[in-house]
Amino acid sequence: MSEGWPKNPKYLSKDLQRVDAHDKVTGKAEYAYDVHPKGCLYGQILRSRWPAARIQSVDLSVAQKMPGVKAVILIQKVPREVRYYGQEIAAVAAETTEQAEDAIRAIKMIAKPLPFVVNTIDALEEGAPAVFEGQSNLSKAKIRNKGNVDQAFNEAHAVIELAVSTQVEVHHPLETHGNTIDASGEEITCWASTQGITSVRGGIAKALDVPNNKVRVKMDFMGGGFGAKFGAGVEGVACAQLSREAGAPVKLMLSRFENHLSVGNRPNSLQHIKLGADKNGKLVAFDLNGFGSAGFASGGSSAGGGGGAGIPAPYIYDVRVQRSSQIGVAINAGSARAFRAPGCPPASFGIESAMDELAVKLGMDPVELRIINDPQEIRSKQWSQAADRFGWKNKYKKPGSSPGVVKTGVGCAGSKWAGRGKGSSAEVEIAPDGTVEVRCGTQDIGNASKTFMTVVAAETLGISPELITARVGDTTFPPSGGSGGSTTCPSVSPAVKDACDNALEALQEASGISDLSGANWKKACARLAPNPIIAQGKWKKGLSGSGTGGVQMAEVEVDTETGFVKVMKITCVQDCGLLVNRLTAESQMNGGIIMGIGYALYEERVLDPITGVALNPNFETYKLTSMADTPEIDLELQNMPERGVIGIGEPATVPTASAIANAVANAIGVRVLSLPITPDKVLNALSKVPAPEESIPWGRVASLTAQGEFIDLNSKEWIV
Amino acid sequence: MKNFQYAKAATAEEACGLSGKETRFHGGGIDLMGEMKDYIDSPSRVIDVSDLDQQITDKGDHWLIGGAVKLVAIVRHDALKKSLPGLVQSAEHVGSPQIRNVATVGGNIAQHSRCWYYRQPDVKCLKKGGSQCYACEGINKYHSIFAEGACISPLVSNLGIALSALDARVQVMRKGAVRDMSMEAFYELADVNPRAHNSLQPDDLVVSVKVPKGRKSSSYLQISEKGAFDWALVSCAAAADLQDGILRNVRLYLGVVSPIPYSREKAVAFLAGKKLNEETVAEAARLLMAKADPFEHNGYKVPMARAMAKRALLALEAS
Repeated sequence: MSEGWPKNPKYLSKDLQRVDAHDKVTGKAEYAYDVHPKGCLYGQILRSRWPAARIQSVDLSVAQKMPGVKAVILIQKVPREVRYYGQEIAAVAAETTEQAEDAIRAIKMIAKPLPFVVNTIDALEEGAPAVFEGQSNLSKAKIRNKGNVDQAFNEAHAVIELAVSTQVEVHHPLETHGNTIDASGEEITCWASTQGITSVRGGIAKALDVPNNKVRVKMDFMGGGFGAKFGAGVEGVACAQLSREAGAPVKLMLSRFENHLSVGNRPNSLQHIKLGADKNGKLVAFDLNGFGSAGFASGGSSAGGGGGAGIPAPYIYDVRVQRSSQIGVAINAGSARAFRAPGCPPASFGIESAMDELAVKLGMDPVELRIINDPQEIRSKQWSQAADRFGWKNKYKKPGSSPGVVKTGVGCAGSKWAGRGKGSSAEVEIAPDGTVEVRCGTQDIGNASKTFMTVVAAETLGISPELITARVGDTTFPPSGGSGGSTTCPSVSPAVKDACDNALEALQEASGISDLSGANWKKACARLAPNPIIAQGKWKKGLSGSGTGGVQMAEVEVDTETGFVKVMKITCVQDCGLLVNRLTAESQMNGGIIMGIGYALYEERVLDPITGVALNPNFETYKLTSMADTPEIDLELQNMPERGVIGIGEPATVPTASAIANAVANAIGVRVLSLPITPDKVLNALSKVPAPEESIPWGRVASLTAQGEFIDLNSKEWIV
Repeated sequence: MKNFQYAKAATAEEACGLSGKETRFHGGGIDLMGEMKDYIDSPSRVIDVSDLDQQITDKGDHWLIGGAVKLVAIVRHDALKKSLPGLVQSAEHVGSPQIRNVATVGGNIAQHSRCWYYRQPDVKCLKKGGSQCYACEGINKYHSIFAEGACISPLVSNLGIALSALDARVQVMRKGAVRDMSMEAFYELADVNPRAHNSLQPDDLVVSVKVPKGRKSSSYLQISEKGAFDWALVSCAAAADLQDGILRNVRLYLGVVSPIPYSREKAVAFLAGKKLNEETVAEAARLLMAKADPFEHNGYKVPMARAMAKRALLALEAS
């Protein structure tokens, strides 16, 4: 039995094409959306038209009698309160989606609209409408203190202060949230678009009050989750209940409009940052006063609590003396959920903006300033490696010194992430014909699970990938937990390797052949007839690592007359630990960077302060990066087999927006202090027009954050 | 969407015969289907006019373009590209290739507001018969900076702006009789009646557009937040006779800044007989924007429109 990963691999770290690519591009791949069991009904959800209201009564009787309608349920008993536009009230299942929609519209409600607040700054004000009656919209401040901050600032050689903000970003996977569920009989099957089949099983079983072993959740393919698709969700529970009541399978997939409202988002952030350095550029003091909203449940003592809008500042940099105080603010909006590297993109934007301002003040090259202050060994080298690839020394000029109307600029930023492995299990079945099936109850959220499982199995068994079929997304497979935290590849790869090692041993024993290489493989397998060998495996320490670092550099063009920003190039150097499959890892990095461009320039949830509704619940005005906006992406994925497998799905997206923002500031010589950097903000920054009035009461924020709950700095609340 | 009758018309006369107060014409359906799915409009009958006039004809002193001509046909028309570059450029910027493959000339110029309050299914704004224009006090980043009336949603038709600069005329059929409308007349109602998107009645059908060839130089430019498949924040079209660098018969229109195509006589008059250079266009752009009256979130459109006007005028030289 082998220990550790092989030194001279045949399949690891190469470019195996995504094994299900053909099925995906030809439409053969079956998503939750595509599953259509016989007699399947269509579900629709009635949602609140009010940002806040007391629902006195809901009359389902008309809807129940409408043509094709088979089930109508209340999501929650009335009277009740709704706290955001789009909150679920009732659901219908009917023979056609049109009938279901007509029935939803026929449901009559008596509701009393209540005062609401959808703007985070407004929600701070004294006397602002309370999201939860009688409770504060504000959480208690979370404070971290290390050393004497005031003294450190007094002694600092250079100090900068700035206030930045980031927007609410919505996950918007291409496949919206939803399920097809058959709960008509005793055995319940759920085809879920999920990144956590096991948690969906638990959720559905609990909602229907049946044992877990009566629920099977399947997910052959899914079209993205980004952190928002772990649980059964209100729509999943409703789908199961409708199916049970109708006695037929029900498909309930959200529309793009619905997906925008109630299945998660990345909280916004407002950050007042102070950063000081000594004359050599070594950081000596950091101070953050911040707040943000994770939606209706982000207030302190209110439901959800905890103020899920916090950020891990000062993120990648080591500042010995620091103070950070943050509050969560409840507003009448859908709740936030984990979103690709939770907290990190906004934290990165704040600190990397501050670092560039400090570099200007110190008269230092921004890359040099980062190298001096980077505590992580690998990343501190990556700054120079990225700079060489990118041509930083030639491209970096004094801010605003680029000539002409269309100015060019460059910027940089770094990332860190744990990406560690954890308990995962897998099994391998070797058939007498020499083919192999690898099974794991994990998911493929776009990270090419089936492909890297095939690579690991081919490498460990010493056979061609063509003999291997990898399967995921079934609760009858060995459990592997949710696909989140960039833990999937570092968890599943060791489990598959272990299962393969065990299978090899069993095959040697059963066949009496010890050398299984070459032609011996088929010979040994043939001796198994008629039964296959099945062997289990588990994640083991030593095969995965943690603590990845990455650096990105951006080059932009900014039209100073129109404010239009075009990203010309992104260079990325990323530590991947053991690179399991290069081709699909590159695809993950590309996807993260493209998403980061959206965060930098386009995406923003807009809620209307007058009516409380969502104004851009569509891809027309909630804007996503398109191919035309995607620049040259130059990747250097660093393969360090000795570190074991490390997940990189999340760090891929963290530094992109910060690097772009710094590049824009470098181009035009003034900083756009809020994301996304849209043309109006560029023109405002260039003072071609007065900025819209948005006075942030920092004084009040400071007084609010002066007292709070202290957090032990040694706790692992954030990331490694 | 609500149920509706569907009828496919073989002739313009038949289409008009089928039309009434609660009907809508369907060209490419790009705009109409969105409105129907979101219950913004629920016509009792949809009359498919996509098979009507799809001809682009050279009539000597003008081009005659059928109302059902698809935008892709304009984009790919080599002779039009030479004769009316501004028109072709305006079509090139519409949506995506998929949209241009089905969207029609008639549908583009008669398209409805994209204001996000108007398109929000749960908001009853002034344009939908409500009592207030929410954009005035709300989030008006994408709205008008020149608005005479109570609704400040801007005209977003690319072709409407280019055709205004080219001094086109629209042939509109009502109850079988064809009227000939200037571009100004085609849009003017939108500036005074907050419920109007243009001057058409529900049973008015755009049958064709006549575009004079008189002005040899024309251009169209727009700026959006994204590099493709995005609405313009500001668009600008210019057309003129340009001989030995001297401008004559200039027309200059801005889009997405007003409920109608926006121009200003003072700016246009200033350009007459002037040499086309940086100084001339800067002054014209200044005059053009002198009366701008932006709202809280769209002040940026003033310098942006100034830049677009300068660039559209300078682009006449290349056309």
